[in-house]
Amino acid sequence: MKNENTKNILELIRKGDKATLHKIYIDNRDIFINFSKKYGVNSYDAEDIYQDAILVLQKNVVMGKVTNLNSSISTYLFAIGKYKIFQSFRENSKIEYSDDIEISEKSFDYDVNLYPDNLTKQQRLLKISINKLGERCKEILTLFYYQGYTLDEITEILNYSDKKVLKSQKSRCVKQLKEITVS
Amino acid sequence: MKNIELIDKYFENTLTPKEQLLFNDLLHTDKDFKSEFVFQKDLKKVISITQTENLKSMLQGFEKNLSNNSKVFFLPKKWLIAASIILLIGFGFWFINNSYFPSNEKLYARNFEPYRNIIQPVVRGKNINSIEYKAFAAYENKNYHKAINLYNSVDNTDADYIQFYKAMCYLSLDKTNEAINLLLPVATSNNQSDKNFNEMANWYLGLAYLKNEENKKALSQFCLIANHPTNTFKQKEAKEIIEFIK
Repeated sequence: MKNENTKNILELIRKGDKATLHKIYIDNRDIFINFSKKYGVNSYDAEDIYQDAILVLQKNVVMGKVTNLNSSISTYLFAIGKYKIFQSFRENSKIEYSDDIEISEKSFDYDVNLYPDNLTKQQRLLKISINKLGERCKEILTLFYYQGYTLDEITEILNYSDKKVLKSQKSRCVKQLKEITVS
Repeated sequence: MKNIELIDKYFENTLTPKEQLLFNDLLHTDKDFKSEFVFQKDLKKVISITQTENLKSMLQGFEKNLSNNSKVFFLPKKWLIAASIILLIGFGFWFINNSYFPSNEKLYARNFEPYRNIIQPVVRGKNINSIEYKAFAAYENKNYHKAINLYNSVDNTDADYIQFYKAMCYLSLDKTNEAINLLLPVATSNNQSDKNFNEMANWYLGLAYLKNEENKKALSQFCLIANHPTNTFKQKEAKEIIEFIK
């Protein structure tokens, strides 16, 4: 029962469901901010790190690296958050980090980097172009490339009569995107 | 383009081992296939970044709502300190303002008290039926309306001391102009009896002008008292008031 519940929550997180993320955000926020204070992190930075911890959780759920949780979401968030705090220390080189932190870093087998390295010129253009697409195209492309649903699943989610119809629609979207980006 | 389905399958993670081999081969040999794949891989990366950015601003929105809702109750400590300092300064300023720069109203209130009854000592048990006695009894009981009526009914209603106590009643009732009209003749009266109220009338006249915001007239009254060669009634108080209003 509890597992079912967690799975549902993970599915909602995968979809980026606003209400679910809001609840998670509120439930764990104060404890996390207080926890950060023990490490001398100011509340502004703590909020930023906390938000990123939730984004990391969400991203890993989307990428299929987290399909079920042995521990609660809170524990998971704290693990990421703690790692993020140490990471920010390292970036700012404010304090020497101990072996203890090395260990906690190695214990992560999932991606904790939210913001990839600099985009190429082509990628930057693409980023602008996506916004010019119609809502339907954005929806299909997001479901497929970001949330990682298969074409079969999307056919069902978006109520297409046939996978072929969806496939040709998706092809048109990609083609349109190319045209916008080139021009 | 042939084999384009392989790219979809790559993103779906549904390539069979055989298809994976073909896929790898095509990447090396087919330029168009490769550029299509690179485009879609870029697309995946860019959509991912856009989504993360959107979610981040959503979370920031949660935070903003939180702080908007609670800022009334959880003011930062330094604000509270600042607020208390401002309050202290404000209170201090108010205090100084009141002590060193009092308004006419304040000066009046601080100095005015109805002159004591020196005419008809009211003695308990002593039943004197004269109107004058009743008038002073009412005066002592702070029943000023009744006292005024009785003063109006006495035989010697024009006597200085009757006029003077009637003026006391009007001052007590905040009817300053009536009081001034009564006090003016008393203050300049040449009555040489033991019921001479000149100096008292001057003092109360000064106070009445003060209350009426007629500072020039008030000042001349108080100067008269302060500089009088023989009368000492309220001389010290007059000098103090002069300091404030001159």
